[in-house]
Amino acid sequence: MENTINKNDKQCYFCVNNIKEIDYKDGHTLRRYVGSYMKIFSKKKTGTCAKHQRKLATAIKRARIMALMPFVNQPK
Amino acid sequence: MAKNKSAATPHYELLYIIANKFSENELEPIVEKVAKLIEEGQGTTTHTEDWGKKKLAYPINGYTHGYYRLVEFDMEAANLARVERNLRMMPEVVRHMIVKKDLSRVTPIPRPAAAPKPELPVKAEKEVKEEKQKEKTNLKDLDEKLDKILETNDLL
Ligand SMILES: [Zn+2]
Repeated sequence: MENTINKNDKQCYFCVNNIKEIDYKDGHTLRRYVGSYMKIFSKKKTGTCAKHQRKLATAIKRARIMALMPFVNQPK
Repeated sequence: MAKNKSAATPHYELLYIIANKFSENELEPIVEKVAKLIEEGQGTTTHTEDWGKKKLAYPINGYTHGYYRLVEFDMEAANLARVERNLRMMPEVVRHMIVKKDLSRVTPIPRPAAAPKPELPVKAEKEVKEEKQKEKTNLKDLDEKLDKILETNDLL
């Protein structure tokens, strides 16, 4: 009976779309997983599964290194 | 590892940024230099992409813009370290990243350019022609606008 409370039935975007590898060059997808300060959202917030959260974090960090994404941001 | 090593040579993807101090027509020798590095490592280039001049998300070595180039190649893993070392020693390349790529697992990125256009009122052909010329500048504006929207959009 534990499964009756399923308030947040968020699903992993990458599992749903059958994306196995997350490309660090895909800035538009990655942008959805960082806040206005460019911090990576927790999987709790976005519903990403553990496996894809790890891949997502790596991809975002790679994108930062290649200046496709900022490390930090000061919202105006 | 006890796993059987696959017979195929690994596939890599290199993305590098050329400093903005060069003009468009000075890029060719630099690109050739990088291609030669891959050649020297007995690599075979399978795909290249020119992303053109892009604004860097943060300044690198004082540069605010850079030319992005992408190269995909097959190479023996043993030769890769030398390519990487030589790339690091090229002052023209401000930054680079080599990533191993498993082609059987990649999903192509849906390009934002392919997004459907908002519907436009029917126009005379003359107007359409003028629009096409404007489109280039509009794309830049669009990118900036998109960035702003994405910044404020917190998913939830
Ligand atoms: Zn997942």
